Amino acid sequence: MSKLAVTPSAAKTDFDLSPGNRSKRRGANLKVARPTSMSVAGLYKSYRKGKLEVPVLKGVDLSVAEGSFTAIVGQSGSGKSTLLHLLGTLDAPDAGEIHYCDQRIDNLPSKQLEKLRNTQFGLIFQFYHLLPELTTLENVLIPRMVQDGFIQYLRNKKKYVQRATELLDLVGLTHRLTHKPSELSGGEMQRTAIARSLISNPSVLLADEPTGNLDAENGAEVMDTLHRLRDQENLTLIMVTHDNELANKADHVINLVNGVVAD
Amino acid sequence: MYKLLLSWRYLKTRFIALASIVSVTLGVATLIVVNSVMAGFVDQMQSRLHGILSDVEVAAPLLGEITYPKEHVAVIRELLGDDVEELTCVVRNPALLSFEFHGRQWTQQVMLMGIDDETFGKVTDFEPYLTNELKRERFSFELEEKGYESKYQPSGWEYRRRVAENKKQLADLMQQHQNAYDVAAASYVDATESNGRVAKVDGPDGERKVQLRPLPAKVPKHSEAAQEGIESVHQATTIPNSLAAKSSEKAQKVSPFDPHAKLRPQVNPEDMFDARKDQYTGIILGQAISQRKTTDADGKIVDLYMVRPGDDVQIMFPSVGSRAQPVSDNCTVVDFYSSNMHEYDSTFAFMPLSALQDMRGMIDPLTGDGTVSTIQIKLKEGANLDAARDKLIARFPPSQYPYDIHTWQDTQRPLLSAVTMELTILNILLFLIIAVAGFGILATFFMIVVEKTRDIGILKALGAPSRGVMSIFLGYGVSLGMVGTGAGIVLGLIFIRYINNIADLVAFVTGQEVFDPMIYYFSEIPTIVSPLMVLLVAVGAIGIAVLASVLPALRAARLHPVEALRYE
Repeated sequence: MSKLAVTPSAAKTDFDLSPGNRSKRRGANLKVARPTSMSVAGLYKSYRKGKLEVPVLKGVDLSVAEGSFTAIVGQSGSGKSTLLHLLGTLDAPDAGEIHYCDQRIDNLPSKQLEKLRNTQFGLIFQFYHLLPELTTLENVLIPRMVQDGFIQYLRNKKKYVQRATELLDLVGLTHRLTHKPSELSGGEMQRTAIARSLISNPSVLLADEPTGNLDAENGAEVMDTLHRLRDQENLTLIMVTHDNELANKADHVINLVNGVVAD
Repeated sequence: MYKLLLSWRYLKTRFIALASIVSVTLGVATLIVVNSVMAGFVDQMQSRLHGILSDVEVAAPLLGEITYPKEHVAVIRELLGDDVEELTCVVRNPALLSFEFHGRQWTQQVMLMGIDDETFGKVTDFEPYLTNELKRERFSFELEEKGYESKYQPSGWEYRRRVAENKKQLADLMQQHQNAYDVAAASYVDATESNGRVAKVDGPDGERKVQLRPLPAKVPKHSEAAQEGIESVHQATTIPNSLAAKSSEKAQKVSPFDPHAKLRPQVNPEDMFDARKDQYTGIILGQAISQRKTTDADGKIVDLYMVRPGDDVQIMFPSVGSRAQPVSDNCTVVDFYSSNMHEYDSTFAFMPLSALQDMRGMIDPLTGDGTVSTIQIKLKEGANLDAARDKLIARFPPSQYPYDIHTWQDTQRPLLSAVTMELTILNILLFLIIAVAGFGILATFFMIVVEKTRDIGILKALGAPSRGVMSIFLGYGVSLGMVGTGAGIVLGLIFIRYINNIADLVAFVTGQEVFDPMIYYFSEIPTIVSPLMVLLVAVGAIGIAVLASVLPALRAARLHPVEALRYE
């Protein structure tokens, strides 16, 4: 289990998200000493319920290396989902810092956060969270639609559709392109969600109990897909799970107990 | 892109939202129909109200006079300059109109207008409302041979000749009866005298007594000749020449039962007025003056015209001057005026200006110029009526001239403002219907936003900005508003297109005439579709739909992604 103390890096206000920067970092990935992809220091988060303040995270420190597979385990209510949401910038911490590629991201303006979520992070949820009105292909294309303006999207559409078809082929859903989520099985929906999370070529994949809602067979299939894609796309995978068997396959396991990382 | 896609998919999959905009559709359709019909009404009403009212009028008090009208006209022309299109002088006075119907004399009040047949039609919309098509083309006060509408038939010269012929025959018949009676009476006198039936007897005390002699066995009550004459009248309308000659001779000579016989003027029959060839001064009556509504055997309402073109009527009114005298004369009805404005049609009668001036004694015997009671002015298209009126009032101040100077709108101000207010209130009320529809949309949208909370969370998690999420729902609202408004416009226009068929259908189903032509005076419901009105209604309706979707859209935009994702 690797746990690195993160020293605050020199605050860079501008966040460089250019593909050149990323590919350079990916190249560096091949070195034995992998650079840090994400790191978290002194993270606090509490939820308010009326007057009652419920602390969830009480000073979490952790670091994730590029291209690694990290599993976050813990009991229900230990704050693992909250931690993943904070990592995915869906929520802001009360205190502490989150770094991505040596840059602090928890205090970025919302516009840059949106761009970050859209292009750098792929999110996978326990309940798939597909849009029920759209077909499988359209669901996969949504991040690209969000990313581009109307005209730009139409111009790039061919390329995107090709990429989406490729991804759906990778997850084994070539025959389901025009089906609505309601016509898919749970495993198929989750694989669609995985394809969606990869359409923008992210570097980090954040998965919140991706197999939690699936039977063993489908769960194994989804995990297979994830592992295969991680190798193929050279992704950093951070997965929340309460399944110890799954966690054991990870490079690192972070055990959250009562809002802190247990050794 | 995702905004459009999702708006479109929501529109396609949520029919309950479409149901919520049915009220927008109905509101828009109603607004368009009501506005178009009201515009049609107002337009027809205005043109009818304007009808025989000139743009601006300089009027003397009722029964009063404007002296030196020529000078007045010159002053007005100079004052208003290029704005004046045409001027005309009119004599206007209340009068009594009496006519014969079924042997009885009917009298009623009219507003008699003496009009100049050259200029009056140019100043007012008089001629289009005449019922005779020939008169509409070429106006005159002469009775026409034909061209009268079938509902007035029989009318015109043919009718007049027939009536005159009948009257003449009747008069001849009466005359023959009279003659025969005269002959009989005369011969009776002869007979009694020759018989010496009455004897004067001097009584013994010197008193004269009249004593009747005993009747002879055969009393010749009528002479044979007289008897024959009466019978011949009964047998035929023609009297044997000899007898006729004898009887007329006798009648002129002695007729003890006709004390005026000797005083009768001897008129050459050639010079006498013959209704078969001549007419009196032409008069045009408002159609409703002599019109009565009655039901026929089937219970249908029919118009009954007590006077027809070709009939003679009598008019009576006071002359001008300090000691007004009643003046009366015969006139021949030459046409009807039918503006379908009951107020005008039941009031006005028109006759030639010079004839009326002459009858009322308005013509100065020295100069030959007549006075008038109003000067009517038509201004050029687009000229400011109120400004012209104010100029005239300044030139003819009330302190010096007792004139009433007004525009036609002043005259009909109460009616016009009532209609305008009615239209405004209707529009407000109907727009409230669309506003109510707006609240329906608001409620439906809130439901949809709640239903779509998780989708909103997903989109935000995938990096969609709040603005984008908001525009999905705004776009949804706009499209719903446009669909509803578009459908409403189409529905409204179709309704207007077939409004008369629909009215007929409603009349057929309910058995109740929607717009009774007897009351409303139009056979078809008038409509005017103004593109600007349609545009305003459409913009208003879409605006309300957008406003109603702003709140739900804001709510959607403010949703926190984590909470939205957790939402079950």
